[in-house]
Amino acid sequence: MPLGAYLTLAALVFAIGLFGVLTRRNAVGILLGIELMLNAVNINLVAFARFHADLAGIVFTLFTISITVAEVAVGLAIVIVIFRVRRTVEADHLDLLRG
Amino acid sequence: MTARIGAANLALLVLALPFASFLLLALVRPLRRSAPAAATVSITAMALALAGAVLTRHGSVRRAATLSPSTTWSWIPADGGPMATVGVMVDELSMSMLLLVTLVSLLVQIYSWAYLHDEPRASLGRYYAYHSLFAFSMLGLVLSPTFLQMFVFWELVGLCSYLLIGFWYDRPAAARAAVKAFWITKLGDLGFVAGIVMLWSATGTFDFWALFTMGSMGTLPVEALTPIMFLIYLGAVGKSAQFPLHVWLPDAMEGPTPVSALIHAATMVTAGVFLVTRAFPLFRLAPDVLGLMAWVGAFTALLAASMACVEGDIKRVLAYSTISQLGYMMTAVGAGSPDAGFLHLLAHGVFKALLFLGAGIVIHVFHTNDVFRMGGLRRHSVVWLPFVVATLALAGVPPLPGFFTKEAILADVLEVRRFGPFVLLAVTAFLTAFYMFRVVFLAFFARPHGRAHREPHVPLAMTAVCWLLAALTLAHGLQLAGQAWLGGHHEDAAPGWLPWFSLALAAAGIGLAWAMYLRGAIAPARVAAALRPIDWMARRRYGLDAVFAGIYRGIVLAFARLVGWVDRYLVDGLLNGLSAWTLRAGDRLRGLQTGQPQDYVYGVALGALLLFVLAHWRVR
Amino acid sequence: MTAETLAFAGVAVVLLASSLGVVLTPNLFHAVLYLAAALVATGVVFLLLDAPFLFGVQLLLYAGGVVTIVVFAIMLTERLVGTSIRQTSRYLVNGALLSAAVFVGVAGFLVQLPPAAPRPAWPGDLTVAVGRALVGPYAMPFELLGGLLVIALLGALYFARSEP
Repeated sequence: MPLGAYLTLAALVFAIGLFGVLTRRNAVGILLGIELMLNAVNINLVAFARFHADLAGIVFTLFTISITVAEVAVGLAIVIVIFRVRRTVEADHLDLLRG
Repeated sequence: MTARIGAANLALLVLALPFASFLLLALVRPLRRSAPAAATVSITAMALALAGAVLTRHGSVRRAATLSPSTTWSWIPADGGPMATVGVMVDELSMSMLLLVTLVSLLVQIYSWAYLHDEPRASLGRYYAYHSLFAFSMLGLVLSPTFLQMFVFWELVGLCSYLLIGFWYDRPAAARAAVKAFWITKLGDLGFVAGIVMLWSATGTFDFWALFTMGSMGTLPVEALTPIMFLIYLGAVGKSAQFPLHVWLPDAMEGPTPVSALIHAATMVTAGVFLVTRAFPLFRLAPDVLGLMAWVGAFTALLAASMACVEGDIKRVLAYSTISQLGYMMTAVGAGSPDAGFLHLLAHGVFKALLFLGAGIVIHVFHTNDVFRMGGLRRHSVVWLPFVVATLALAGVPPLPGFFTKEAILADVLEVRRFGPFVLLAVTAFLTAFYMFRVVFLAFFARPHGRAHREPHVPLAMTAVCWLLAALTLAHGLQLAGQAWLGGHHEDAAPGWLPWFSLALAAAGIGLAWAMYLRGAIAPARVAAALRPIDWMARRRYGLDAVFAGIYRGIVLAFARLVGWVDRYLVDGLLNGLSAWTLRAGDRLRGLQTGQPQDYVYGVALGALLLFVLAHWRVR
Repeated sequence: MTAETLAFAGVAVVLLASSLGVVLTPNLFHAVLYLAAALVATGVVFLLLDAPFLFGVQLLLYAGGVVTIVVFAIMLTERLVGTSIRQTSRYLVNGALLSAAVFVGVAGFLVQLPPAAPRPAWPGDLTVAVGRALVGPYAMPFELLGGLLVIALLGALYFARSEP
């Protein structure tokens, strides 16, 4: 398969993930959308690495995956704290930063 | 050479003394708050300055006329020599003025101590600080070796005049008079500064001596000189209260009487005459300006004398008389004999100061300025005698100085065949004698009005100063008489009938005043009725004040209103609009901060889209 | 139609379908399961791109780690609130439009790609190469990554601890 096919697939997954982030009300749901977007990015990185025969993309993907795990852990911890305090994880109700 | 340096140093010392006094009074607060200390400092400085002036005069040796009398230092450095210099110019002219200024300043300061004794202490300190500043400025003016330096001191004396006229600044009339004096003299100063700038661009120097040398060698651009000298003459018109800028001087009488004596009679107002005398070698190259000067001077003399005849306020009569005498001096310069004008300036400085100080005593006794409410002072005290001496001097009665100096002016005007100004001056001489004796008869000899003043108490300082000035006037007159009658100094120019003619004019004026106001043979009302149009006009000051007030209102107030409008609606409006707009915009923008994370994601996505579009566009 | 094309088509369908499931299903728990499927499918894509090591990492860390954490989180919150969480969506049309626009924007670049170039040769064993790279030129970022993970762990612990 050519590079374009992989990139198109990644772009589609990215758009779906963005859609999830934009539409989900639940904070956990938003996190899941972010995971999808990160995956799309990873596909891009690996595809470019493969088609340019460059190891850097692979290594970057490794890093991305690790950082994503850390992010999910912290993000979910925050969600739990918010839930404890506000009794909700609906992003609509979390508007303390409202101007 | 050493004598010259010595004279310059002495002159600098004379200049430095009042300045030091001013600095002391201005900067050391306790000194200023305590009136006796302030007066002591100021009077001591002035006394030392007077001593210095005397020493300058007697210590200087006569030198060759080709040597420059100036000692200068470079001031504004520029490529190819300094653009301007500062220094002192010690010659006959400046030394005489030095003597006059220091003498009158000292006497007036002593007199003021008694005259203003009831003033609050603090404002008396302020008064002496102003006086010291004035003395410094006036001395700097007369010692100036360059036009530029003279202009600086010129403005300084104008400032002091403003400050001292408005000394009682809580009186609206005084404050208004101060502003008026400042504005009207500024009109003339505009011409002065434009003139010296044009002079510089035409010749490249401000220095009097350099300019005189160029003039005598014929290297000055004579065609360009006429407008330049006209502009410089405008400065003298404002300062020396020549028509039509004379309107500020009568109002300046709102200041304390000693101030009027010093600034508005003896010294500052004569700065204009001093200027044209100092720059006479240049004015001589512009005969058109000289002719104008003679006519304007003579006309001013007559105009002011006519107004003095109908004025009831003793100080204003003296103010009009000052204007009139300044017109005399200007006519003399315009007729090409600055020496005669300057002699009259010196003599006038002394006896006019005496007149004002005498008037101060009269006002002190009667508590009014109105001559019609005075009278009978002759019976109580002899304080009137110095006043009468000065009046005789002004009226031109020998052997007092006014007679000789006025006659010299008349002779010189006649000599250059300016018959128009001569006639005007002759009529003025008659009127001068008339209005001065009108005041004397009304104030001293007429029957007392209201309650009688029993031997009024007049402080010794005031009478002593008056007596001293009277003695000086008399001595000066006798000296001039000696020169005229024994030395035969002026006889070659004047026709033999002229002294008798001027004496007759003075006698006629005095006689008319006697007949009208003392004897009652001629009712003043009938004279006024006979001369109805002139009387009507003179009482309204020929409408000139109204003209100036109209111009002031029309231009200055309209301009002020315009500026106010711009400030209120454009500047403030801009700022208010800007702040209101900022507030409203901020309110609107607040709405963007919903606090909802996903709305921010929308923004990020839209921004990314925008970048895509931009990138596509750039790639194409 | 080669085997590779077939495999790609299959895995692409699975990936897209499960992704749509993640963002569309109302049940949060099901969404997590779809996510797991999508992650595994991504791993298979890595496999197709000759990166088996990454496939392993993807399975272990993502499909194993992340999904487990999320399931924990959901169960914790559900236990706290006492009911199963139904998740709803908002502004579906807006989100769809914007996402589509972003996709179109990216696709605008993709159509400008040069015609398909053949895959270059892959240097030997990828796992060995990655291992050498991690202790070679990327040693420093790798160590920093370890630090980051420790900090994230501590941070998560701090947030999630019960109030004193």
